[in-house]
Parts: sequence; C-alpha cells; structure tokens
Amino acid sequence: MENRLNTKDLISIGVFTALYFVIVFLMAFIGYVPLLMVIMPALCALVGAIPFMLFLTRVKKFGMVTIMGTLLGLITFLLGRPWLSILFGICAGLLADLFLKTADYASVKKSRLGCGIFSLWIVGMALPMFFGYRDAYLESLRPGYGDAYVEAITRYTPAWMFWVLIATIFVGGLIGAFVGSAILKKHFVKAGMA
Amino acid sequence: MIEIDNVTFRYKTTDAAGNPRIVGGVSHLTLTVAPGEFVVLAGDSGCGKTTVTRLINGLVPHYYPGELEGSVRVAGIDAAKAGIGELAAHVGSVFQNPRSQFFNVDTTSELAFASENRCMEPDAIRESIRRVAREMDIEALLDRSIFALSGGEKQKIACASVAVAGPEIIVLDEPSSNLDAEGIKELEKTLALWKSEGKIVVIAEHRLYYLAKLADRLIRMKDGEIVEEIGRDRLRSMTEEEAYARGLRSLREVGLPERRTGNNTEAHDADRDFLICRNLSFRYKHSDHGIDFPELHFRRGAVTAIVGRNGAGKSTFARVLCGLERRAKGQVFFDGREWPRKKRAELCYSIMQDVNHQLFTDSVLEEVLLSMPERKGVSEKEREKAAREMLGRLDLLPLADTHPMALSGGQKQRVAIASGVVSGSPVLLFDEPTSGLDLSHMRQVGELLKLLREEGRTVLVITHDIELVREAADEVVRFD
Amino acid sequence: MQFFRNGNEGYRSVLDPRTKLLWLVVINVVILGTGFTGVDFILRIVSAAIPFILFFLIRRPRTALLYGAVCAVMLFTEGVVIPSTKGIVNMIVVMAVGPFSRILVGYAFAFYMMCSTTVSEFVTAMRKMRVPDAVTIPLSVMFRFFPTLAEEGGAIRDAMRLRGIGIGGKRGGILRQLEYVIVPLMMSALRIGDELSAASLTKGLNAGRPRTHICRVKMELWDWALVLLGTGFLVYMLVIR
Repeated sequence: MENRLNTKDLISIGVFTALYFVIVFLMAFIGYVPLLMVIMPALCALVGAIPFMLFLTRVKKFGMVTIMGTLLGLITFLLGRPWLSILFGICAGLLADLFLKTADYASVKKSRLGCGIFSLWIVGMALPMFFGYRDAYLESLRPGYGDAYVEAITRYTPAWMFWVLIATIFVGGLIGAFVGSAILKKHFVKAGMA
Repeated sequence: MIEIDNVTFRYKTTDAAGNPRIVGGVSHLTLTVAPGEFVVLAGDSGCGKTTVTRLINGLVPHYYPGELEGSVRVAGIDAAKAGIGELAAHVGSVFQNPRSQFFNVDTTSELAFASENRCMEPDAIRESIRRVAREMDIEALLDRSIFALSGGEKQKIACASVAVAGPEIIVLDEPSSNLDAEGIKELEKTLALWKSEGKIVVIAEHRLYYLAKLADRLIRMKDGEIVEEIGRDRLRSMTEEEAYARGLRSLREVGLPERRTGNNTEAHDADRDFLICRNLSFRYKHSDHGIDFPELHFRRGAVTAIVGRNGAGKSTFARVLCGLERRAKGQVFFDGREWPRKKRAELCYSIMQDVNHQLFTDSVLEEVLLSMPERKGVSEKEREKAAREMLGRLDLLPLADTHPMALSGGQKQRVAIASGVVSGSPVLLFDEPTSGLDLSHMRQVGELLKLLREEGRTVLVITHDIELVREAADEVVRFD
Repeated sequence: MQFFRNGNEGYRSVLDPRTKLLWLVVINVVILGTGFTGVDFILRIVSAAIPFILFFLIRRPRTALLYGAVCAVMLFTEGVVIPSTKGIVNMIVVMAVGPFSRILVGYAFAFYMMCSTTVSEFVTAMRKMRVPDAVTIPLSVMFRFFPTLAEEGGAIRDAMRLRGIGIGGKRGGILRQLEYVIVPLMMSALRIGDELSAASLTKGLNAGRPRTHICRVKMELWDWALVLLGTGFLVYMLVIR
C-alpha cells in the first residue's frame, strides 16, 4: 500500500473532524451546567472518543491523526480561544499518531490508549488558567483586579490542578474509547460498515 | 468513444463477520458507444447498470475495489491503467444524491471546481461559468449557498458543474431519483442541450419517460449482462404494456388517473369516516414558504395519494400533521375526536423519504420492539411473538437478527413500515416511498400500501410517482 | 451549525482573511496578557475598538452597538468598580466579569470573522499562505460537512420524536438516547463521506497536484495598514515587554 495520504484519506479526515467537533460541541452545549463545569472537559473527551474510534478503523497511514488534531486546534482558535490550542492539537495528534504507529493502527488495545492520548488536545481549550501561562496571566491581572483576587485564584487553581485536569481528560477519553469500541462492535461491524 | 470489451467485474467487500465477500458487478459485458451517441442503461436494481457508469468514469476499479477482467477504453485511454484523475479530463459525472456530490459550499465555487483541478486559467473558468449559466438559465443560482437550494436546483448545479469543465463524455447515475416532475423537465432540457452539442451521454435510470425522445439506444441489463438493445425507433413506438413486460418503467408520461378526491365530501368534526384537518397553517421563519389549508378530508381505511409540484407544501403538511412543527395552527380530527399537536405522533406514523434516519437499533427485531407500546400484563415473550408475526407478514422474518443498516433500501423501508404498524398508529404517512425504485420494487410498495389498507389503516402517500398512484391509490388530493 | 458564510450573494468582504487571522492572534495575545495602566491600557482599548468598527463595516450596526455597550460596562467595572470595592463584594464582581471580559473581545472578533468571510475565501487564503493540501482539503471538507451534519441531525431528531424516543422522552436512559443520536449520525457521515469522495475524485481532485482558484483574495491598502499595526502590537507584547 502506498504510504502517502491520498485524496480519499484527506476527505475522511475532514468528515470525521467535523463529526468529532460537532459531537463534542453538542456535549459542551447540553452539559453547560455550572456543577458539571469541572468535569466538562472529561465528558467532552468521552463522547468525542466514540466517533474517534470509528475514525481509527479508517486510518492506516501515519499523519491522519496529527492532521485531525491540527484541525481541531485550528477551529478552536478560530472560535476565539488562545492560540496555544493549535499547539496542543498538533502535539496530542502527533503523540497519538506515533503511539498508534507502533501497532500499525491494527491493535484495538493500543487504539483505546491512543484515543486517551488524543483526547489531551482538549487541554488547550481549558488553557488560560493553567501551565506556565498561568503565572504571567495572573501577574497581568494584579494591577486591574487587585492582590486579593490574584491570591484567591492562585489558591483555587494550584499548579497540580493542571495535572488533575490532564488526568481526568485522559481517563474520560479512555472510558469513551471503551464505549466507542463497544458501539463499533454492536453496530458498525454487525452492519458490515467497519 | 467508449469501448468496453468483454469486461467482468466483481466487487470485493467484507461481510458482517469480516470475511472477504465477492458481489456481482458485470460479467462478459461488451459495449461500444460512438461519439455523439445517447445511451440509456435500464434494468432492475443490482442489474449492473451503475457499474457500467463507474467503469467509464474510473470509480471502478480505482475507488470501488474488485477484480476486473477485459479492457475498458475511454476517449482512447486505457481506463484500468489510468487513474480517475486522468479520466476526469474527459468524463463528467452526475450522481443520484444531491446532498453528497458537492465539494464546495457555494454554487460558483462548485461550478469552477473541476476546471480548477485541471489548472485552467481563472479568467477562462469565469468566462466558461458565464456561458454555461446563460445556456442553462441558472444565472439566478450563482453565488448562492448550496444548502439553500432545492433538490431540483442542486441537480441543475451538478449538471452545470460538469458542463463548465466541458468533457466530451458525460455519465449520469439515476439523476432523477430525487426530482419532481418539474425538476425532471429541467433535467431533460439539459440532456437535450448536451445531445445537440454532440457529447456522448450515458445514463443509468429507472424513470424512462423523459428519456424516450432523446435516447439513441436503450440497453436493458439483467444480472450483470446485457439482455436486449432497443433502437431509437422501437423506443418511440413502445407501448406501456411492452415496457412492463420487460420490467421497465413506462416510456411515456403517465397522466394522473381520474379518481375521487376526498375533499368533495362534506364532513363534520365528529365524522368517523374521515381524517379531517381544519385551518392548518404554518409559515417557516424568515421565508414566505408554508402552508394554509382551510379544509382537508382523507377517507378512513383508504389509500390517498397527495400530489402536486415541489414547494406546494406536501412535506410541510406531513410535518404539521405529525405534530413536528410547534408553531403550526389548526385542528386535526380522527375517530370522532380532536388530536392536539402533542398527541399526533401517536395518531400518525410517518415513513420518511430517507429511511436511513429512521432506524436506531442493532437488529430488525429490536427495531420493531422499540416501536411496540408497552402494556401492562403483556410479557416480553408475547411482545416478541407479536413482533415476529409482524415481520413474517412483511417477509422480514429471516432477517430478524440482521442489523437494519446491512439491508437493501427496500428491506429498510419494510422494517420502517413494520415499526409503524406495530406502533398502533391508525394513520400511516409515506413521503416519496418510490424515489429511485425500479418497476418491480415500485409495484412491491404498491402491494404493501394495499396490504396496510386491508389491515384497516388510513394511508397517505406523498408522491411524484404517477405510476404508483395508478397502481395503489383509491383517492387523490392535489396540492397547488 | 455553520462556519463562515456559504454563499456571497452580492457581498464583498472588506479585509483579506489573512489580515483577520493575524488580528485574531493579536487580540488573543493582547487581551489575555495586558493590565490596566499605561501602554497596556491603550493597547486594550484599541484592540477592543477594532471589532466594534468592523461590525459597522459589514453592516451589522446592532451587533456593533450591543458589543460596544457590553464592552463599556466591562471597562467601567474593571477600571472603576473593582478597585473601589473591597472584600466579598469585590470577589463576587471579579468572579462574575473577570473571565467574561477576558474572552469577550476574542469571541467578538471570531464572530466578525465567521460572518464576514466565505469558506472559499478562507480556503483560498490558506492556500496562498502555502498551507499544504493535507490541511486545506480536510479543512474544506470540514466546513462543507458542518451544515450537512446539521441537516442530518435535524432529520434524526424528527425521526426520534415521531417514535417517542427523543431526548427527554419516555424510552431508555440518557445513554441509550445518546446512542440513538450518535450512531445514525455516524452512519450518515460514513455514507455521505464515501459518496463525496467518489464525486470529488471524478471531478479531478488530486491531493498534491497544483490547482488554480477563481476566488479573488488580495491584500489591499487597508490590510497592510492593519497588518503593520498588528505586528507592532505583537512586537511590543512579546519582545519589548
């Protein structure tokens, strides 16, 4: 098989990126409840994993997952989120791609883990509060909002929160991957479509 | 010039268990089409006519994989060796589904698309678009969103986008499936234009009446082989009986049969012989489309066909009747009482044109059980027994454990009908149940409608298919 | 759901998509990283004013006025109310407007970009920036697919309501209902995607091959002025500060 991405592969990427984004977007919309905000990124990762698992049945070549991550980062940016989300999209996609490549995109177990890795692009959406970004951001707040606010924010969002966020998103993606492969088996394999 | 010489092709797919499976395409097919010739391919679904169009545009074997024997030469190119891209310069293709054949979101970009891919000069492309728009009378459709167009307009853009690139060969695969009579007339005009320009046109189609005047040759296929070639003169003189004897749709335009129209009768609200709609009205937001019907009667226990041109509000009426439009006004009476909007989903079950949207579960049996109302004192076993009985009546019993999406179009439709019948809705509404169907399947639908009538259901059928109306309708209501 | 404009009936975009992209970055960086004094404050005001003016230019005065009003309230709160309150009141006000004011300008500019750019303009601009086919082709397909998925989703929702299995309906739990939505949507996407690939290939789409485009995208005087200004902002934010 040829290793370069052909037109059909690129169209598949477009179709599944749209599907993934719409489903995640709907989840974020339906679940816009204050209490759920904390686990919202994880929930998004969970539902997104379902179409992603179907996408992986169409992926046989290196690069397809990276492109999908890039595009997701790009539309997040186009919707007015920090530009770093593009970087997160590219990195999460590339990592997942590299990982999946080790099994030549054929192992279901590795697909699930790869799905968890890919979900990390969502971190980019919840970004401005975390990462090295955080300190500069908080400093910039100080003159406008006063010391009390900045200290409060610092207290509520300690650095380890960032790792907790990553962990919940990864777990969400992993659970979603199991749900996704169950749905694949129940519907798509049975219907001869996967 | 197209030369297909002793070609055999089998599709390679996988079945539900993941095993490779070989399914029919064409076998030992030989066909030569001379420059300027207009050829119609006809025959039942699965007879191989679509495969022939794919051999010409290269989708077979380059997109749909399989085993190919024999040689295909299109415009002097060996189609099996050349890629689809190379053939694209000589062959333009129009497909069945207007929703899936556009790459762009606006009409002008779509018109330019094929030429852009061939690296033509932008100014030359713009000039070509202007010329085609004039010839095909689509100036008003330029620079529009594809998603705002009607089905007929979309198909016109599909044809125009082929014309802009100016290939010498054009293949069409069931282009009229989703069109109404007016859309078909427009399509006929476009085809006549191409014929006058001396292009080779190869068209696979079920509905034949609009092609009889244009075709130089009709090729009838069965099980992947050519069984008959019918010349121009014979086509023009062929009667309906002769066409039906060959399993073909009528070659002449069929007139609407003279039937009673339900609306001539007087009926009062409590009249149990009718489904009565009073003062139904609805307007879509930001548009002047909508419906406004002071009084409509549909005879209970009869099959009523609803006909009329596109835009007359047939589908909107269906949505309002089923209670899908929240802002709709008006009253619906049946069985001596009024049905408020929220109750109407129980009154009226609708089988949509694209039945794919209506199937949710992972087996045919589950699909039917999903619609069956749960009653106290009825055990799971009894429910399943009733469901299986229903499947038996519609010849679906052997498929009870199959995934609905693995079925053929006709089978899917029957599953949707089975769900509708067990749901207990007294009124069943069909939206274009025969779009894209061949003669035998159209008749099968007709038989089903009659079967439902025998069961005492009230059946409404929205359709453009006059042959179906003649086949199965007791009454006709015309929307204008 | 729709990204960017589909058609461009009698409409001509004022700015080049590339200018808009640059300014999306500029606003991103400026609004998230500046305070309320000196040069910072001027940068903020200028960045916030840009969507306001642009909304007028694309003949959306009502959007402009609404945005302007919200902006004014935000500025007043941040500049006057927050420094002059203390304790718990201060906390509540800050919590309420803080995150919102940070993202408002970015969202407004993103919204301006969506409703002033057609898909073909955007994709053409990407190609002019030498973004490879591996990104522009999936991107075009994606934009084309959003409205398609919306149509399919609408049809599925109708079908669910007809069978009484809609979200919030009587049958099945929330997971079951999610399955009823997602599975048919994925099935549709697969089917339409396959047909779309076939149709595009027969129209000669071939990744990696050169193509021409008829969509006119050109940097005008206004674009260059804004690019210059934006670059200045970026240099100040990232280098000088």
